[in-house]
Amino acid sequence: MARISAGPADALAPGERTFVTHRNFEIGVFNVNGKFRAYRNRCPHQLGPACEGAISGTLMGSADTDWQLEWVLDGRVLLCPWHQVEFDLDTGERIRGLGERLRSYTVEVDDGELYVHV
Amino acid sequence: MSVTADRPTTTRDDLVIVDVDVHVNDTPEALAPYCDAPYRRVLEHISTLPRRYLDIPGYALRLAIDLPLPDRGAGARSVHTPQQMREDLDALAVDIGILFPDHLLTMAALPDDVYAAALGRAYNAWLAEEWVSRAEGLYGAVVAAPQDPEDAAREIRRYGALDEFVGVYLPTAGVNPLWGARRYTPIFEAAAEMGLPVMLHSVGLIHAAFPFNVEQFRTILFRHPIQHEFALMANMFSMLESAIPARFPDLRIVFTEGGISWVPFTMWRLDKEYHEYRSLAPLLEHPPSHYIRKFYFSTQPIEEPERPQDLVTMLDMFDGADQVLFASDWPHHDFDHPRQVLNMPFSADAKRKIMGENALALFGIDAPVRAG
Repeated sequence: MARISAGPADALAPGERTFVTHRNFEIGVFNVNGKFRAYRNRCPHQLGPACEGAISGTLMGSADTDWQLEWVLDGRVLLCPWHQVEFDLDTGERIRGLGERLRSYTVEVDDGELYVHV
Repeated sequence: MSVTADRPTTTRDDLVIVDVDVHVNDTPEALAPYCDAPYRRVLEHISTLPRRYLDIPGYALRLAIDLPLPDRGAGARSVHTPQQMREDLDALAVDIGILFPDHLLTMAALPDDVYAAALGRAYNAWLAEEWVSRAEGLYGAVVAAPQDPEDAAREIRRYGALDEFVGVYLPTAGVNPLWGARRYTPIFEAAAEMGLPVMLHSVGLIHAAFPFNVEQFRTILFRHPIQHEFALMANMFSMLESAIPARFPDLRIVFTEGGISWVPFTMWRLDKEYHEYRSLAPLLEHPPSHYIRKFYFSTQPIEEPERPQDLVTMLDMFDGADQVLFASDWPHHDFDHPRQVLNMPFSADAKRKIMGENALALFGIDAPVRAG
């Protein structure tokens, strides 16, 4: 278990991200609407650099919305830059997929500093 | 956008990777210096006009009917120079690439036959002068404008004489009539004479040629497979109907950008019809599957079944280990990383053939010599 510094917490505003490196792989650290999340920069689809993709929202609908479309999860959807695969930045899960998810890591704020537990 | 981030080692030193479908960005301004009058002046003018991804130069044939959503913009990746292509292919661990166009993917839909032939000649000349290189592992496919088969045949003989041109690209999206039509005979004669495989390649196009009516699909998600696989299938059936593989027994025929799962369907479905209607295919000397087993199919977009073993079974259904060719479709939005195919549970022997050996043999390319 390693504890990797990701810099001062107040330097990472909502919607922003930073990267840390552990051994030979990268981890994206995100401020998702005030909550910190960390994911391995590797898409479960074709292993693209998912954490480098655009952060957006997405279109969804269901019986709960009476089959009307809604633009949802704004600021919480990470799009892998290779094939636009969508992930919920709050959980790391692929949106409406087959259970795929980004490898996630615990982020700790200690005395104003961000640490990723690997 | 990087292709290298967090990329684990994908290849062993003894594995040669040939990518039979990568795309160069053939802009009007790039082609203009290679184009005959008066179209050189036309292309210079077209260079100043707004354009969208994969538009045919000067025409807005690619009716774009999908709802544009925010932040989904990665579809516009393109490769502008051979240096960039070499760097990109290195990052993908690809040794050798076969070049296809971007904008000329839709050229079969051009109504102006004289302009279409001029564009084709400009593309071939541009490729020969600026792109193809044995040292860099970049090989060309001569574009054959279906609008002018005699001119296309001349182009095939002209560029096919160069070692760096290893195939003939048959534009497939919007081609009318389909590639089995008699009028294309000069193209197949020239390709067979030069020993060059013909390569069918479709693209997303909404147009009044097969497969027409795709505007009924509001989204690329459901339209895209029809624009590729159905276009390939229709042209395969057309070529079988006119007995191209019987008339040109040495001609190698490649179907690109359709994946592989449609292949067993074509064999079994046509063979069933052939029982009843053989007399309507009087020039075929064998059931259709006999010929289909000799066709070549490129991997991208490789199917991604939940059970990877299913893809191995699919390959075995048409003895595909000798007929399937790796393709990435780099840099397009739906490209496959080589490791997507390498990680499938094919046998080591099948992987070696699919990733490179089949293509080296098909195109007559020497394996690259590795330093160290």
